[in-house]
Amino acid sequence: MQATAREKVLWLIAIALVLLYALIPVVWITSLSLKPPAEVADGRFIPKNFSLKNYDTIFSTNIFNAALINSIGIAAIATLISIVLAAMAAYALSRLDFGGKALILSGALAVAMFPPISIVGPLFNMWRTLGLFDTWPGLIIPYLTFTLPLAIYTLSAFFREIPWELEQAARVDGATPFQAFRKIIVPLAAPGVFTSAILVFIFAWNDFIFANTLTSTSNARTVPAALAFFTGGSQFEDPTGSISAAAVVVTVPIIIMVLIFQRRIVAGLTAGAVKG
Amino acid sequence: MPAVLRGRSIRGVVTTALVAALVLAAAGCGFSESTSGGRGKTIKWYVFNEPGGAFEQAIATCNKQAGGKYTIQYVRLPTDADQQRELVVRRLAAKDSDIDIIGMDVIWTAEFAEAGWIKPWTGARAQRALNGKLKGPQLTAQYKNTLWADPFTSNTQFLFYRKDRVPKPPPDFTWDQMIDQASQRGKAIEVQAARYEGYTVWINSLIASAGGSIVDENGNVKVDQTAARAAQIIKKLATSKAAPPGMSNNKEDDARLGFESGRSDYQTNYSFIYASAAKIKGFQPKIGVAPWPRVDASKPPRVTLGGINLGIGAYSKNPELSFQAAECLAQPENQVVASEKGGLAPSTGVLFSNPRVKKVLPFADIMSTQIENGVPRPVTPAYSDISQAIQKTFHPPDGVDPSKVVSDLRDKLKKAAEGKIF
Amino acid sequence: MADKVTGRAREERRLAWMLVAPSVIVMVLVTGYPVVYAIYLSLQKYDLRFPNDKKFVGLSNYTDVLGSSTWWTDVFNTMVITVCSVAIELVLGMLIALVMHRAIFGRGPVRAAILIPYGIVTVVAAFAWRYAFNPGTGFVQHLPLVSGTANPLGSRGGSFLVIVLTEVWKTTPFMALLLLAGLALVPDELHEAARVDGASVMQRFFRITIPLMRPAIIVALLFRTLDAFRVFDSVFIMTRGANDTETVSILGYNVLINRVNLGLGSAVSVLIFFAVILIAMFFVKVLGASTAQQTGEA
Repeated sequence: MQATAREKVLWLIAIALVLLYALIPVVWITSLSLKPPAEVADGRFIPKNFSLKNYDTIFSTNIFNAALINSIGIAAIATLISIVLAAMAAYALSRLDFGGKALILSGALAVAMFPPISIVGPLFNMWRTLGLFDTWPGLIIPYLTFTLPLAIYTLSAFFREIPWELEQAARVDGATPFQAFRKIIVPLAAPGVFTSAILVFIFAWNDFIFANTLTSTSNARTVPAALAFFTGGSQFEDPTGSISAAAVVVTVPIIIMVLIFQRRIVAGLTAGAVKG
Repeated sequence: MPAVLRGRSIRGVVTTALVAALVLAAAGCGFSESTSGGRGKTIKWYVFNEPGGAFEQAIATCNKQAGGKYTIQYVRLPTDADQQRELVVRRLAAKDSDIDIIGMDVIWTAEFAEAGWIKPWTGARAQRALNGKLKGPQLTAQYKNTLWADPFTSNTQFLFYRKDRVPKPPPDFTWDQMIDQASQRGKAIEVQAARYEGYTVWINSLIASAGGSIVDENGNVKVDQTAARAAQIIKKLATSKAAPPGMSNNKEDDARLGFESGRSDYQTNYSFIYASAAKIKGFQPKIGVAPWPRVDASKPPRVTLGGINLGIGAYSKNPELSFQAAECLAQPENQVVASEKGGLAPSTGVLFSNPRVKKVLPFADIMSTQIENGVPRPVTPAYSDISQAIQKTFHPPDGVDPSKVVSDLRDKLKKAAEGKIF
Repeated sequence: MADKVTGRAREERRLAWMLVAPSVIVMVLVTGYPVVYAIYLSLQKYDLRFPNDKKFVGLSNYTDVLGSSTWWTDVFNTMVITVCSVAIELVLGMLIALVMHRAIFGRGPVRAAILIPYGIVTVVAAFAWRYAFNPGTGFVQHLPLVSGTANPLGSRGGSFLVIVLTEVWKTTPFMALLLLAGLALVPDELHEAARVDGASVMQRFFRITIPLMRPAIIVALLFRTLDAFRVFDSVFIMTRGANDTETVSILGYNVLINRVNLGLGSAVSVLIFFAVILIAMFFVKVLGASTAQQTGEA
């Protein structure tokens, strides 16, 4: 069916609207970050003069650099451990037969739906007694917990789609179990693992409430929590420019990652709901 | 199998990236907010980030005087008082031994003392700490007849006005008069009425200037009609033509910016705005400084005290050296530097006649009178609850009901003191 | 032969349990244990600023919370934000899902674009929108038809507006993707048949698409409602609960972390936990939300 010119125009408008919707705050915060500090309160959407002063400011103090390292490191480690644990569980759930599957899955769902505020109190108390307060493990452990359900669900969905018989076929053809695993299973599972890793990383990168309550210095404070504690140029100054610059720095990698891997992310998010 | 190949190469990229991140992370584990290096024991001073360089100079002076016994490190806290407290409290509650000296906001004394988070100052040391200090700052560092910190800097708010637009306020200038005048001229009065600690400062000053107080000496709730009077003034300003734009969200810096933009004739704020005004060509000479406005024409104003006292962390590994370092930091020379570089007022009385201080703060005499008669905020361990309860009762400024304020405040304060939801 | 089969089955079960054990242990320990600990703490009077006053007080923390108007106002505020956000997200998400499903070109850019709000740190989004509406820094005040001194973040209604806007902006993509998956399940032949029979676009949408998508819609609503009820980041950055916009999570934070009143704060936390369970039960029992598809058994 040929699309009429009118239909094409309408679709173009629809798509433009969606793009606008997604990009306005991103363009806005970038614009704020590029304004020279004196013009930050002028209310213009596009800056009158461009200046990189705000970026200078945030990289000159240790606070932001430390927060970036914390964010990257903690999210990466949490992702790694989460994927390994979830892959094992997902393999069992999708390939092996045992009672309690439904229990585990609904339990995982329950954990994902948990209100974080309900456990920050006890965690704060537990961590301060165990000495995990303001440390990397102190954040990695709760992140693990809240990303495991997401990872297990996504990986289960992917693993269900893998033709495991290929492994058998390879074994029959003379490959050792390890060879079969490495050459057949791993490449088939890789996209699913990768997608899950991205989703988990975004989740851990994004967290605010745990980062805020379970840390208090650059030892472990991640960027979202650090953003809320930025200081301005004078004792009482509002650090709008610095916060905007920091926001851009922490957003650009995510945007790039999302743009490159959009297909996989969409596949991962819709994996569980669609069969076949 | 093209899909497989793509998966593998991307996998390789990701693995490398992850490994790189982990290596970076391991290397970065040693990041901290403080500068390092130096001889002797390291004494960490947790205090807000003072951008003028006053604290850095004080630290340098004391490190030199220490002669290798200790080295003080500057650990920067956020500028917002509420955030400073949150961070410090969390660490002290976690029994952190990293905190040696705390640049304590004057309102933390009772709370930290009762919780056992700071060490008391006793004997000759306590006498030296109080020696020569104005009465106001002295009061803020004491709780239950014990000294808990060494007063360092002080602070109160003043009335700043546009000399080129309005006449010098008479000695018994009241809030009512100021609001009427400003409304007539159609210009604003800059205040701080966001729902935060700064709002409690204003309310506390109004109530004290009306002759009342919020709690008595024993920490019991003592709210009376003066609270209604305070609410009256706040509401009058908020609903008049002199209300600054965004009043219910404004903090100290919003007030400063508003005043600098020319939209207001009057401003109640701290002395830092005076130093900041020097950065704008020709603006500082236009600013006049007067005592804080009165609530009652016959009663001189009593203004809320701010400032920093130096306390010693209870879990510090080097308490003796920390005490010595704190005494050094609070010495008169460092207070003068704090005035020169940070626009902060001293706590030692004679320094207000010091020519260097007077040069930077020409209204030093108004300062010393207000600080001497300054009123602390309620001295109770549950202060942060009390402050939140006060803020909740009075916010938003245009919605506060003077006829209900007294009972509302009494009710909330009682619940706050009992550790209940308010 | 029978022995071998059951032997293998048993081995398989053991392997399975060994594989899931680490995940289960982590999840149980880090959510289960703190919940139990929170319940324990909530039965005490325990304020870190008065460390010597710790004592067992039974349910009095709960009676205090449930009897305070602040708690119920906060529940109301949380429900307002939840209902408004989810309702708007449903409509907006459906529209975007339709665009993605049916667009004859440009699916790639659309898909990429809507993932941006999903990937952005919530706190960043909250700051961006806060600065946009702040008189002074904001550009909203300079838009046509908007007053130059408008201060949405200074009033209750305005604050709700900005908070809901931020939440909707951030999470509609997730809703859209869930709905897209549901859309894909509606067979095209049904649409064709209906079109041939003369049904209009609207009729086809409401009589065919929506009913067939019902399970997906309900699952999406379940996820998003539970998420929205736990809202914290946006409110914290926008108003911190001022202007009467305090939500239950902010109340919990204020009592626990700000007032370091662990006993009272734990009571608030436990009550929030029960509220979430209630919502989930409502969706599952009353609306029949089913995640059966997820277990691969449907």
